[in-house]
Amino acid sequence: MSPEQPTHEVLAALDASAAAGAVLDTAVRVGRLTDSTVVAVHVRSDPAVPVDVVASLAEERGIALRVLDGDPGPTLIEALRGPEAIAAVIGGSARSVRPGPGACRVSRTILEQSDGPVVVVPPDTGPHQEIRRLLLPLEGSEASSRAVLDQLVPLVATDIELEVLHVFTPATVPPMLDQPTYDLDTLGKAFLSRHCPGASRIEFRGGGVVDQVTRLSVDHHADLIVLTWSQSPSPRHAQVVRGVLAASSLPVLLLPVLAVAPVDPAPAPAAAPASGTITLVHR
Amino acid sequence: MIGATFEAIALRWDGAAQSDPPSDPPSDPTVDASGLRERLEALSAAGVHVVLVSEGPPEETQRRLQARPGGPGTLHLCAERGSTLLAVTGDGSAPVPGGGGALGRLATFFEDRGVTGGLTLVLERGRAPGDATVGDRPPPLTDVFPRAAVVDTGVAVDDAGQVLSVLDEQLTRRAERRVPQIDQDPAWTVPLPEGRDHERMAEALATLSNGCAGTRGSRGEVGPDAAPLFLVNGVYGADDHLLPGPLWTGFDPTDPGLPGPGQRMLDLRGGTLYRFGDDAGALRSLRFVSLASPEAMALRAEGPASLLPTGDPLRSPSPSAACTFERRGDHYGARTGDHGSGIAVAARERVVTSGDHRIVERLATWSADRTGAARLDDAYGRLVAVEARGFDRSLADHRHAWARRWADADVTIDGDPAAELAARFAVFQLLSAAAAHGESAVGARGLTGTGYAGHVFWDADVFVLPALVAIHPAAARSMLEYRIRRLPTARAAALALGRSGARFPWESAGDGSDVTPREVTGPDGEPVAISTGPDEEHIVADVAWAAAHYADWTGDADFLAGPGRPLLVDTARYWASRVESDADGRGHIRGVVGPDEYHVHVDDNAFTNVMARWNLRRGAAFLQGTHGADEASTWLGLAASLIDGWDPATQLYEQFDGYFAHEPLLMSEVGTPPMAVDMLLGAERVSGSQLIKQADVLMAHHLVPEELERGSLRPCLDFYEPRTAHGSSLSPAISASLWARAGDPERALGLFRMAARLDLDDTTGTTADGLHLATMGGVWQALAFGFLGLAAEAGTLVVRPSLPAAWGALALSFRFAGQPVRVRADADHVTVTCRAPLTVAVDGEGPTRCPPGTTAIRWTGARPTGERR
Repeated sequence: MSPEQPTHEVLAALDASAAAGAVLDTAVRVGRLTDSTVVAVHVRSDPAVPVDVVASLAEERGIALRVLDGDPGPTLIEALRGPEAIAAVIGGSARSVRPGPGACRVSRTILEQSDGPVVVVPPDTGPHQEIRRLLLPLEGSEASSRAVLDQLVPLVATDIELEVLHVFTPATVPPMLDQPTYDLDTLGKAFLSRHCPGASRIEFRGGGVVDQVTRLSVDHHADLIVLTWSQSPSPRHAQVVRGVLAASSLPVLLLPVLAVAPVDPAPAPAAAPASGTITLVHR
Repeated sequence: MIGATFEAIALRWDGAAQSDPPSDPPSDPTVDASGLRERLEALSAAGVHVVLVSEGPPEETQRRLQARPGGPGTLHLCAERGSTLLAVTGDGSAPVPGGGGALGRLATFFEDRGVTGGLTLVLERGRAPGDATVGDRPPPLTDVFPRAAVVDTGVAVDDAGQVLSVLDEQLTRRAERRVPQIDQDPAWTVPLPEGRDHERMAEALATLSNGCAGTRGSRGEVGPDAAPLFLVNGVYGADDHLLPGPLWTGFDPTDPGLPGPGQRMLDLRGGTLYRFGDDAGALRSLRFVSLASPEAMALRAEGPASLLPTGDPLRSPSPSAACTFERRGDHYGARTGDHGSGIAVAARERVVTSGDHRIVERLATWSADRTGAARLDDAYGRLVAVEARGFDRSLADHRHAWARRWADADVTIDGDPAAELAARFAVFQLLSAAAAHGESAVGARGLTGTGYAGHVFWDADVFVLPALVAIHPAAARSMLEYRIRRLPTARAAALALGRSGARFPWESAGDGSDVTPREVTGPDGEPVAISTGPDEEHIVADVAWAAAHYADWTGDADFLAGPGRPLLVDTARYWASRVESDADGRGHIRGVVGPDEYHVHVDDNAFTNVMARWNLRRGAAFLQGTHGADEASTWLGLAASLIDGWDPATQLYEQFDGYFAHEPLLMSEVGTPPMAVDMLLGAERVSGSQLIKQADVLMAHHLVPEELERGSLRPCLDFYEPRTAHGSSLSPAISASLWARAGDPERALGLFRMAARLDLDDTTGTTADGLHLATMGGVWQALAFGFLGLAAEAGTLVVRPSLPAAWGALALSFRFAGQPVRVRADADHVTVTCRAPLTVAVDGEGPTRCPPGTTAIRWTGARPTGERR
């Protein structure tokens, strides 16, 4: 990759809504995170509709604008499948991952059909610094780990602080913890080694997943929340995504997994130990 | 070609041969025994044990053979039928005393030296189908040496050529230093899990240790998935963590990709780690940490040269470790350590390469200093001694030492081979955990990993020690010595709190001070206090209990009268200063943590108070009749005043003051144990409930049943077990023991299996960082005190069996009152084998005075209907 001109592109889906500015600002941050060029993409179903509003938004931020004609959802999906596109940034909310007709049709289409990472920018997201700290909740399934390895790791700079969060469920709670200070350290190393070797550290929590994700993202000043998901909006499979989008004002990077990720049992024995600190909290 | 090296050879020899050829040599080579004699003598010099079995009397065989073996391997002669066993040495031959069949005695002789059937090669004539002489022929030698490899010496009476060529191959393999094999008896070997995800778990499972030093079972070709480790007992670094020593087992293959092919197997009986495979590119290796010479370690490996590169055999434990290297001729040395402790390792390697095939023999020794820099000169000096002994002889010594160790520790469970193997694995690790001399700091994970930093908890005193008291008393004594030498620190700790006596810390390392982490960082970056250090004080009584149990079981009265006395007296003095008396004269111990760590800072924890009461009474017994009689009287008064939570109405002990008022949550409402339920529900919810982490009140029933109301065990089991999350690895085995004692061995069996498989199945997900020694101690205790119902009562060995239906019989070997004992219980007999007269009481019946030998005592075989104390 040429140091002067990155060949990767982050595509910001741009419309004339009130959220457009936040989408572009977040896209700029994602571009810096991934060392990519940001391109704003505006799709108009009616070629007669003027684009001066979106053009102005893009120009203010020094972002190139690409105007496409067609059905917005499928057209954006087609653009995302271009060889240089590595991620999309869209405006969205919990409704974007809710089944059935209604608003957010375009964002739903992108989220359900995209082959790669999509950053969802909530409408209430505020101004943020550079993206340096990512919060990655993982349930410990192979599918999610594969999505992280295949899509997130190649995407981000190596000096990014990646914090993994695992919220215990009845299926994943350890059977025994003699002295939690020591045992959680061992379990944490094993979990990271198996599911996210490049992470800086892991946090274990108990309780509701959405609540813990939201709380930790605030407590640890995360800049971006990363979630893996099955791209299925059905109630059973998108609860966490909907819940986080509804509760957090942070952008959420969604990584599609190849198959529905069931909740796995406790992590298997370790491979190489990972560096990082372990913090125990239970609420 | 047989392609394997054997430690013993059993040969049928029916040759009517002479030792020296006559002046006119006969054309038939079978009558010339000189070739056989030469080879037998050479095998003896190489350390191989040989037995010749002949039709005629052995004296006649020797007259014809005229062998003069010089050792160290033995030569025995015997007849196919009969009791005469002749031992032949360079000085002549002499009958071996003893009764019974000669071959049976010889098999015992071999097994006593760790040479079991699988290490034996049998050469005898095969049996053709329809052989008309089958009925007249003696049984095959494989009846005496099961699992032995067999070479059919042919239909002819003597196929001398074949016999000699087999013996020549054995001599050649010895000369070439080929990798020895192990007896792959499935009852004694643990296959290790393969695959990168299980590499560190396998390393922990395959740790080899002699109680002084331990080496994890890492592959030689260490890759990124491995965590190799060499530790010396009690050598801590500046951070109060066990200090990693230089690594001596590594190879740096030219292709550091996936591990080389081959399977690995832990040989429990021989104490070795064996690697083998059928693939042409497979590595074969055998490794041991000597039980006979505690500072010696050795390995042999053979395979593709690319997997066994030559060079410095020593490695730094980690890239960041301070490790220095040196070389003195063929000897390599390395040393780790800083700030007042160190470990030094010296090694020598011998390499033979033939084409692409390489054989490597590596001998290593260590020296260590707990308070200063380790001396490499000491390690070099020991290495010279090990070199003089040689690998083969050192291995034979090591196997012999393990055979002696197992003679006092074996477990057999008829009808349940999986449970038997798991139990033997637990015993193996227990026998490896502590040294037989000096002091032993037995950390929660022993020498098997870095987990828990090598710190010593009550795991050592009440879980590991009771097992070692019985199966390896010298090791138990060394564990007590660790506590004795830290009495000054314990006394200072009590004084610092404004109390008297000795207060042992919850978590201890090198100098005996409290190394319990004080806090953990909370989610907001603020510290969250850990209360076990300041509040889990039952450890004080646990140490005292360990000392008393050692003395009661071994009969070592000198210990308690001498060095062990302060462990009982000073701890009692601590409790006397700790008990608070209220206006009504009742004694309280407030603000503690019991074994159940879900509830912290509680008042009058039943276990703590009952143990303190026991401690006060036991300590007072030392002072009565002495100038300390007044103090003893005070202690007895305090003991009698202590609240213990007993409620006669419910026949229950309340775990702590106010426990019964907590939310009556049962595990059936939460999930299936084992479960770290505090992680799921949150500490606040759990601490407000009746859910408990592990046996607490029931732990008192386990350790000091005599302190509790008769008949209270079953009600307490019925009440507390449904509330027990078994969220601690220490828990299931204790419950198993108690359920067996309470007359429900079937329920006990499920918990026993959970405990016995804990590390083999990596139930906790933490085996990679070390084995759970307390669980293993609990497993042995469940067998001994639960299913066999053993107890020591005033010098009498009490046996109250409670066997599950799946077990046809349970037998334990152990030491009691200074002698080796074996107790076997089946449906209707308890069989006791002892060397000196022993009083045994079976199942509440009158005592039986068992004479030396084996005594079968009939018992009803009925499940105990009542509670056993």
